[in-house]
Parts: sequence; structure tokens; C-alpha cells
Amino acid sequence: MTLRNKAWSPYAAGILIGLLQIPAFLLIETALGTSSSYVTIAAHIASLVDASVDKMDYLAKHMYGAKNLWQLAMVMGIVVGAFVSMRISGARRQAISPVWKRAVGIDKLSSRAPMAFAGGFIMVLGARIADGCTTGHGISGMAQLAVGSTVAVAAMFAGAIATALLMKRV
Amino acid sequence: MNVLSAIVLGVAMGAVFGIALEKSRVFEPGAIVSQMQLRTFLMLKIFLSAVITGLIVLAVLNGVWGVKMHPKALVWQADIVGGLLLGAGISIAGACPGTVFAQIGAGYRDAWFTVAGGILGAMAFGYLEPALRPFLLTGGPGKLTFDQAAHVPFWALALGVAAVLAAGLAVLEQLRPWRDEVGPDVDGLAPAGERPVATGARSSLSSASA
Repeated sequence: MTLRNKAWSPYAAGILIGLLQIPAFLLIETALGTSSSYVTIAAHIASLVDASVDKMDYLAKHMYGAKNLWQLAMVMGIVVGAFVSMRISGARRQAISPVWKRAVGIDKLSSRAPMAFAGGFIMVLGARIADGCTTGHGISGMAQLAVGSTVAVAAMFAGAIATALLMKRV
Repeated sequence: MNVLSAIVLGVAMGAVFGIALEKSRVFEPGAIVSQMQLRTFLMLKIFLSAVITGLIVLAVLNGVWGVKMHPKALVWQADIVGGLLLGAGISIAGACPGTVFAQIGAGYRDAWFTVAGGILGAMAFGYLEPALRPFLLTGGPGKLTFDQAAHVPFWALALGVAAVLAAGLAVLEQLRPWRDEVGPDVDGLAPAGERPVATGARSSLSSASA
């Protein structure tokens, strides 16, 4: 498997992701996660117009510090990593995935944009209510045998499967 | 660790994460929707591989060196309601909070809208949190792990679960080899031949791929 390949085995990729727990636990003293970064960004944006944000516990506690900024840096790194990987292999993607034509009959960005926006809103709202996402509860929570994470992941698959089955078969 | 080092480490870890997501193709909306329709299983394979690796890594880190764990608390209603919404959003967005960023890196333009919606969702939650907290976000036994509940050492249960999951993956790979599911093009679509359509659709897809 090289960077020039357009596809690796899912096992190789999954093992590589799982190994990232080593620097996470040893150097940052936390588990892998991604959805908190949305709160960090949101809190900073909100604080530009709302001075009371730094008194709102939940938003304020996501704004500064090594753990918060580490996670924000990591999701930015994901953008870079995916971009570099795509360029090296030449696996260029289209503006929107052709799966949407099959699933919901959408093949234009202008039609897909509100759906993507709504999806993102519901997704992160749910992740913050549950205090974790596929990475935080899934990859990290289940690796720690956390009961709450297992419940959250089960609910996540249930919600995702039920919703996907409402779409046309892809 | 100081903030600057944490940021540098974050970018480096993210770059590795992003490469793994892109190469595995799991970040593609097609891979996610078809997984959730139970048509392909690439996402499950990556997910479980990462969990198994994490279980083994943590069994060693915690079992040998006593490295501290960071499980999240069990809050039944928050985990269930939040999980359901998260799942619904994942299917509608064709992404999870982390893979959205890989989508941006790889060139999907709708991913920008997903992130924007996600940021607004996080902001909305931040403002709603004090009102939701009393009934939705509290309660339950706190940070509970299965090894604590079963009164066995973490490393032992972790390795046992890892073995069971690995066996499950071996069976899954036999039934649904990953190479068959990667598809003829880089858009995470299951090969058209598996769909109940006329053979004309299959040949037009193969002539479109590089």
C-alpha cells in the first residue's frame, strides 16, 4: 500500500487510525475525538458578537487550552492529509458525490447545499447532546469499553440506518 | 504539553488521520450511505479495525503502565437521543463530524455546507445547554466501563473483546470482500452490477472510470 494507490485495505486504514490513540493518550492525555472542535469554532465565532459567551460554561470551556486547540488542529490536519493523499493518487472527486443522484435524485450543488447544511446541523447537535461522535464514542469510547459510548454508538447506527433506508437504494 | 506543541502534534496526527480516511475511501458520502443501507461494509470494517487496535493499545498502555483512561459518562437519555440525531445527521450529510473535513480536503463542495451547519448546530447546543441540562444531560451512574461493571481487569476484557471483534471481521471479510465493495470509481458507489438494473448501467459506469 503506497500513497499512490487510490484505495487501501480498510483494515490497514483502521489500524493506522487506532494507533493514533498512542500519541493522544500519552501526549495529550485524552482520547481521539472530532466533534468538540465544532464547539471550539462556534464559541469563538459567537464571542465575536456576543460578549457573554465567556460566561457560558459550556461554550467557554471549549475555547482555549491545549486539548481544545489540539483537536481543532487535528481536524484541520485531516483536511490537509486528505488533500495531499488525493493529489498524490489522483483520486479527484466531483463537486458533489454521485450517490446523491441515486439516493435522493439530487445532482446539483445548489440542491445539495441545504441538505448538507441540515445534515451537518442535526449531526453535530446530536453529537454534542451525546458528548461524542463516531470517533469520540465509537473509536475511542468502545476501545475504553465505556458503557455510555456503546449505547451512543448503537443509537447512532439505529438513527443512521433508519434514515438511510428512507432514501432510495444506492 | 504546551499549547503550541499540542497544535503541531494535532496537525500531524490529523494529517495521518486524513490520509487514512482518504485512502480507505470511507469518507466518501457513497461509502457512508451504502453502509447505512447495509449494502456495503467498508465503514464497519475500518471502524471495527480502529476499535480493535485501540482496545489492544489501551490494554497495553493501561495494563502495563497504568496510563489513565478517559471514558465518558453514561447518561442514558443523552446518549440515546444524541446518538439517534447524530445518526440521522450522518446519513443526511453523508459524513460524520470527522470525515466531513476529509471531504473538504478531497474536493467535495457540499462538505463546506455540512461544516457550516455543524458549527451552527454546535452553537445552538451551546446556547440551549443550560436549559437542556437538567433533564437531558444529567443523571446516570457516571463514567462506567464494562470491565468495572464485570469486576475484571480492563486489559483482560479489552483483549477478549478485541479477539471476538476480530473473529467477526474475519467472517465479514469472507462474506463481503473489501475489494468487491470499493467500486469501479472513486466515489464510494457499490458496483452497479450488484444493483437490480439493466446491464447497460454497468457498462456505462465502467467506461466512465479512469
